[in-house]
Amino acid sequence: MGSAIGGNHDKNNRAGHAALSASGGPLQHFIKTHKAPLSLILAMAVLFVIFGFLNPRFASVLNLQNVLFQISVPLIIVVGTTMVIQMGSIDLSVQGVMAASGMAWILLSPNTRLESDIGIWAWPVALGIGLGIGLVTGVMYAKLRVPSFVVSLGTLYVGLGIGILLYGNELLPTLTNDVLARWPTRLTLGLPNSFWLAAAIILAGVLVARYTRLGRGLLAIGNNESIARHSGLPVNRYKIAAFAIAGALSGLAGILATMQLGSGSPDIGLGQLFTVIPAAVIGGTALSGGEGGVMRSALGVVLLIVLNNGLVLAGVDPDYQSAVFGSILIVTIVAVAWPQRGRLKVAK
Amino acid sequence: MTITSPTVLKLSTISRSFGAVKAIESVSLEIRRGEVVGLVGENGAGKSTLLKILAGIEQPDQGTIEINGKLVKFRGPQDALDAGIGVVHQEQSLFTNLTVAENIDTHNAGRTGASRYGFQDWARLNREATVVLDKIGVTLDPKARVGDLTFVDRQMVEIARAVRVDDTANITPLIILDEPTAVLEQAETAVLEREIRKLREFASVIFVSHRLDEILRICDRVLVMRSGKLVSDRRTGDITKQDLFDAMVDEPAHIETQPRSTAPFTGKAVVEVRALTRKGAYNDVSFAVRPGQIVALVGASGSGREALVRTIFGAETHTAGSIIIAGQPVSGWSIRRAVQAGLAYAPAERKVEGMIGGFSAARNIALVDPGKVATGPFLRLRRLSQMAQSWMTKLDVRPNDISRPLAQFSGGNQQKVVLAKWLHTAGLKVLLLDHPLRGLDVGAARTLNIQIKQAVENGAAAILIPDTIEEALEMADDIIVMRDGRVSARHDLRQNSHITLHDIVAEMV
Repeated sequence: MGSAIGGNHDKNNRAGHAALSASGGPLQHFIKTHKAPLSLILAMAVLFVIFGFLNPRFASVLNLQNVLFQISVPLIIVVGTTMVIQMGSIDLSVQGVMAASGMAWILLSPNTRLESDIGIWAWPVALGIGLGIGLVTGVMYAKLRVPSFVVSLGTLYVGLGIGILLYGNELLPTLTNDVLARWPTRLTLGLPNSFWLAAAIILAGVLVARYTRLGRGLLAIGNNESIARHSGLPVNRYKIAAFAIAGALSGLAGILATMQLGSGSPDIGLGQLFTVIPAAVIGGTALSGGEGGVMRSALGVVLLIVLNNGLVLAGVDPDYQSAVFGSILIVTIVAVAWPQRGRLKVAK
Repeated sequence: MTITSPTVLKLSTISRSFGAVKAIESVSLEIRRGEVVGLVGENGAGKSTLLKILAGIEQPDQGTIEINGKLVKFRGPQDALDAGIGVVHQEQSLFTNLTVAENIDTHNAGRTGASRYGFQDWARLNREATVVLDKIGVTLDPKARVGDLTFVDRQMVEIARAVRVDDTANITPLIILDEPTAVLEQAETAVLEREIRKLREFASVIFVSHRLDEILRICDRVLVMRSGKLVSDRRTGDITKQDLFDAMVDEPAHIETQPRSTAPFTGKAVVEVRALTRKGAYNDVSFAVRPGQIVALVGASGSGREALVRTIFGAETHTAGSIIIAGQPVSGWSIRRAVQAGLAYAPAERKVEGMIGGFSAARNIALVDPGKVATGPFLRLRRLSQMAQSWMTKLDVRPNDISRPLAQFSGGNQQKVVLAKWLHTAGLKVLLLDHPLRGLDVGAARTLNIQIKQAVENGAAAILIPDTIEEALEMADDIIVMRDGRVSARHDLRQNSHITLHDIVAEMV
């Protein structure tokens, strides 16, 4: 931590004084400790009311199912993204991993291009590719001490390259198995299967963060890596594990997105990174690490997708949607970051 | 505790040098079980080095360490922890985003039953933390997030973590508290004192503090260090505060106090602060500096003088009071405005805040006021070199090479360049010098002091945070002594040159 003279010390001290003055009943305490998720849920409620008024179709069961279908892929990715950002690193390789895993999966499943269906084994192979890319990123980052920003940018293009090679110049590989093609949209207990998959991953992410040494270790690294090392935590192992998990989850997201689309494409993950990173930040995961959680990032994803969906249904001119969405995003992020700004804070 | 209690720690003729500097020289001492031992000494007396050796961070060049009668060698911090030595550092080393229980457990990460197969057993973790907290007599929720605790509570967590070390091996813990009270308020200090009395039931304590009253109240015995040597080791019952001063302060044969003119400074105050306050740092501080005047702020760590100077420079904020620059109260004060108003700041963290190591010496000198060597947006390289060259020569920077990256110069020469960066600016009005001589050898210090004096003679004013009181007595016209964020004394050296080191130390602690 490159803090200035007594900077850290000072910060702690002030935080201590703030804590002294804070008091109140259990409700106040709950609100104080859950301020970030509560404000997110509040923001979402406001959005729902506004969009509901603007277009009644927004609140329809059909549209909500559609939203749940759409959020599944980013929800899966954001679990890995959050783990990586919590330790103060970043994983930009999402789109590349999705392309490689998605293409590998469809070519190994029943498809219109190749007779290379290996049935259920397509899953472990495709997930393994994601895990492998994540491992490579993690090892280079942790062992060679290269910034994760740069390493994952590299693996992003390697992944994209694999996807493009698999795609070739031939016939578009389309899923021929109806059961597989329909699985993501099919409803179970009224909700699309895609969403159930994402929900299971989110749950697993929450459990890892809360009940495992790895989950707690990532937070410790994000808070102060040098103390973590001096306390004997296996810092490098945790770092590599986080990237490997993030890679595997991006791989899974690539498979699900391919299934949803019904055909393979190296562009399958286009733009996902620009949903999940702002989502994590909006959820209160500081890019400097140590803060935030999977559940909160997930709420961030929901907020962003709902916002997007609502703008479409509210009849905002498609030409303006990008600009409006971006502006709202900026305002939200500034609002979230506002309490953390400091006079000599270095933001890079 | 009795005299016959077993010896927990024994140091024999421990020495450690850094280059040519002997940080500690042949220190021998013993700590008995249940004993609370105070350790005092001026800045640079070698306390920190001694503590680092005990914590396993530094290795001694010579001498031996015995724990419970057994010879030990610390290869790293973990060895010291295993031997039962827990250090509560000045700078807290807790994970502020984790819970109390997790922080207490960190040194045992993965070694005890609280984690099996990589899973965290919260119930057990919290239970074990509660046991430790009970043992040291602290009521804290093990599930609370450390960042939400008060400073003193966080120190309790650090103490708990230090004591926790003992659980696996059957040894008497030795807890080292490195200036734990420096930033505490009165009430919090009382809590800590109670805690130390409690600790002695099962541990030994080394207590480092600048506050001698506190030391005499809490400790059984006091060790005094001066210039790397242990100069006094006496029981608190037999000594007074005065004895401690005498041992701590190496009264020099002669302090260089130049003849000073006694005419009062007549110029308008260039910088004035009125009742300036920041909660937790400094409180109700007022003073003014005029052209030609050097004001030294003297105080122990926790006196708030660094934060005060940084506030005047616009690098930190204040909560009450006002800053008045050239007669005008300012609002929305920032570093940029401070620089435009002619303020200059030589930071204590030279490498982090004072220089750009990868830039050449010349570029560093031109950092503050590049307009002087530029036409429009374009740097005039030849003029830049000429200007840099003249300053390098004037300040005797070695090697005298303006194109060499500043990081490759020695500390003293870097500091000269940092100073040159400000001295050459045309509108220089006030020099804010935060430990300007830190890490400098005698020769470099002399050159620097001459330059500072010259700038002041040419009409600048200076606010100096000296490393030592001697430096203040040598340089300053006025000394303002601060204690716990408040001004505890003021001395006008031009009216009264009889002020001694003792007087000032007494006002500091």
